[in-house]
Amino acid sequence: MRQSTLSVALEVKPESYEYLSSLLNELREKRAPPQQGVTGKFAPFLASVPVLHFLSLSLFPGYEYDPLFVIEANFDGEPGPFWAQLEDAIGPELRHFLACCKCPRDVLAPLFTAIIAPGSRAPIAPYLEAQSLVPTVYHHGNRGMTRQRILDECALFEQVQSELTHNDATYRKLDPLAVHHQLRTALAGQFPWINTPPAPRISLWENSFDWLGLGAFVVAVSFILSIPGLLLSLILDPTYSFILLGFSLLLVAALFTRISRRSSDNSEPTNVSLQNIAFKKPLFFYLIFYLATVSIVGSLFLMPIMGRVTAATLGDMLVWFIQGLLSIPFTLAAILFWLRSLEKTDSSLDAPWVSPRFLREMAQREDWIPQNHMGSVVLIKPGILRTILIRTGHLGLGLLLRATARDGYLGSMRTIHFAHWALVNNKSRLMFLSNFDQTWESYLDDFIEKAHNGLSLAWSCGVGFPTTRYLILDGASQGRQFKEWARHSMAVSHFWFSAYPQLTTDQIERNYRIAFGLQTHGITKERAAQWIKDL
Amino acid sequence: MSALTSKSVLRPRAGGPRKWAEQRFMTALPYFFSLLRCVKPVWNVAGMTLTSRYDHVREVFATEAKFGVMYKQKLDIIMGGEPFFLGTDDRSQHHDDTAALCKVILPSDLQRLASDVEERATRIINTNKGQIEIVNDLTRQVSFDFLATYLGIPSPANGDLRVWATRLFEFLFADGGNDLALRAEVDEIAPALRAHIDAIITLRKQNKGDDDVLARCLTLQSAHEPGFSDVQIRTALMGMIVGGPPQPPMVLPQAMEQLLKRPQILAEAQAAARNNDDETLRRYVLEAMRFDPLGPGLWRVALTDVTLARGTRHEVTIKAGSHVLAAFASAMMDSRRISNPKAFNPHRPAADYMHFGYGLHACFGRYINLATLHLMLKPLLKQPGLRRAPGADGKLSKNGPFAERLVVRYDFD
Repeated sequence: MRQSTLSVALEVKPESYEYLSSLLNELREKRAPPQQGVTGKFAPFLASVPVLHFLSLSLFPGYEYDPLFVIEANFDGEPGPFWAQLEDAIGPELRHFLACCKCPRDVLAPLFTAIIAPGSRAPIAPYLEAQSLVPTVYHHGNRGMTRQRILDECALFEQVQSELTHNDATYRKLDPLAVHHQLRTALAGQFPWINTPPAPRISLWENSFDWLGLGAFVVAVSFILSIPGLLLSLILDPTYSFILLGFSLLLVAALFTRISRRSSDNSEPTNVSLQNIAFKKPLFFYLIFYLATVSIVGSLFLMPIMGRVTAATLGDMLVWFIQGLLSIPFTLAAILFWLRSLEKTDSSLDAPWVSPRFLREMAQREDWIPQNHMGSVVLIKPGILRTILIRTGHLGLGLLLRATARDGYLGSMRTIHFAHWALVNNKSRLMFLSNFDQTWESYLDDFIEKAHNGLSLAWSCGVGFPTTRYLILDGASQGRQFKEWARHSMAVSHFWFSAYPQLTTDQIERNYRIAFGLQTHGITKERAAQWIKDL
Repeated sequence: MSALTSKSVLRPRAGGPRKWAEQRFMTALPYFFSLLRCVKPVWNVAGMTLTSRYDHVREVFATEAKFGVMYKQKLDIIMGGEPFFLGTDDRSQHHDDTAALCKVILPSDLQRLASDVEERATRIINTNKGQIEIVNDLTRQVSFDFLATYLGIPSPANGDLRVWATRLFEFLFADGGNDLALRAEVDEIAPALRAHIDAIITLRKQNKGDDDVLARCLTLQSAHEPGFSDVQIRTALMGMIVGGPPQPPMVLPQAMEQLLKRPQILAEAQAAARNNDDETLRRYVLEAMRFDPLGPGLWRVALTDVTLARGTRHEVTIKAGSHVLAAFASAMMDSRRISNPKAFNPHRPAADYMHFGYGLHACFGRYINLATLHLMLKPLLKQPGLRRAPGADGKLSKNGPFAERLVVRYDFD
């Protein structure tokens, strides 16, 4: 089943900030036990919203804007049923929270007024649904695992451990295949579902859609970057156009070679070279794919206009697109030059101030269980190039993550359950919300060491972010500065709910592998030997 | 034959083309509401308003100050003018009346009621060897027997409680056309039932007998507890009899029909029954009921000019006095709020169901129903080889809004 990630960010009336804060704390006291564990007070909430994985209700105080009330939700299935379930669980509380928020000034104003009117019984779900923000980038760890499946497989894991502990001597004598058979036999009564084949975590349709999306993005970006060449060919004769583009290409190549020589001045070997980048097989095949795609799409547009498409027309179109392709390096170089000139004059925060009160409250709420939550809102740097780069970069990064990060982990990071970015306050601020394992410090260390390029791409548009080079270099890799900047932008998660607070991303994947193995009836000897390592 | 001595629980209906047209109309209703949900979810038409989406249906139910119930007039006829909480929209009055009932109908009774229902159903299944008619012989028999025992109101000597209660139920909830023949029967039955309960109260004052609801009422009356005069006790018990036991024979055969349509689901429900997994079985029955609930909806009346779905594209102002249909059957199929509504999913959250209404007038007996409904079917579901009887008997037939007949067979040793 598809998982959904969304958030709702509502501006709060400044005079209601403290009251709303107290209401959120009341809800937390009502729902959350004082320390770890979710039994007891969480139980009704778990039952009312059976699709929910993580939910947070945060209040960002804001200095440049009025406070922001943020609902973050990660759940299975479609948003409509989720909002109805949430309303059923905490509808009266939500109505009070909304009453502390500002009335929107768009078409949603009458709906908002109806909801917060005294004694109102108007449903809240339509308003929250309408205010839901689509993430610009998101990542789902343990992708495709429904909450029920996670809980079922956790129960299976515990039973497997119990079975192995109680019959340790017996199992130690068995080979992997026999262990597999014995465990299946012992657990089939209690877990009949292990006799059915495992459901795929990502459907064929979803998989195809992910790759199609990424492919369409790359083709579209290639086309946009080739527009200067396409325009040039409309002005100049093709021969002159090719000569000019050829010279531009040589100029860019010379510049690139110079940069790559500079980078190889040190003793470390480098793979950065024009040859490596330009003549790799995938690039060659991509160029063929691109030309074929745009030619076909172009023909589809031309056919209704011209009435017919001849071979000569298609040939002209192909030449036209090749001219466009030749201009891509030049366009890229121009953008990088523009970006670099902006980056050189960017301001970054070396020692951002953090309110001691918030720091104390954050510290009080972190590290009670193996999981933690983080919410951050930053201002976005102004300018046309930044605006385009944020949107394009986020779109591309999101599509890339959907197509590649599907084994439960984000690259080598094995701690993220759900994370997403979204644009708020008329797209002038960037919000980041994440549910992760281990401490905040180690989470940020992971980012710094293992995913700083992607993180810089996603976050470098934030005012005060550590200085970057060419959008993805430096930035988040400057550990101390990055951590302080991130903490400065964070707010207290007043209410935070996890459906499986004791399970790490890694453990969920382990449980999945064990369950998958048990659900595989005719397992081979080699796979059984591999599978047994997880027990 | 007098209505009092009638043996036919359901009134005879017109057959032929009219019956055929009625059946086609009922079959077409879900499609009609499905269309309404898409194009006109709040539709003012011919002096009434139809609501079909989850949000709007729930808003109608929840806004009791503006959407009142329409039962008072008919309740006055049934109760002889005595007020019953079903007919009032006054929240405090409603609270006081139900609070009195809550002193005698206790949560701690549920376990006992559940066991009683299961035992009664088991006895019936064991005596009907290999074949049973579900509507009358199982669900109606069990629901009237256990509730009459629990309340302390046995069948009258001069009539059949099943007939009397079902007629009054039809008059109160399913007589949109104000049928004169039905009214004539009600005019006979209602005073007779009141007299029957009055007589029992008088008798029980002399010999209090078992620990049932009536005995508890009389104990509280002796203690001068407010809300327990003779008339108040009679009205409360009569309300429970009229509103309660006629419903399981409607919804449970319909649920059974839905299970029989889905062999895999039926097998899962049977497995739950055999494993005595009552919670899972309850979920299966509730979910089956979602596909064919008690009726398409409940009527309300606008007490003032009221705007529904305010602030949305479907905002509609309803004039005071207009009738409003809160179509809960349609709401439970609304994919905007119900996840994958066409799929049979017994693990749905409680919010997905509106079987018992919502808000002030949510069914008073919902906790009893939740504890017992599935157990009426449990002994039957335990039987091996459960299948439809051949021919028309094996398919659920209806008499107006009432389930009429459904025969199933099973392998009986």
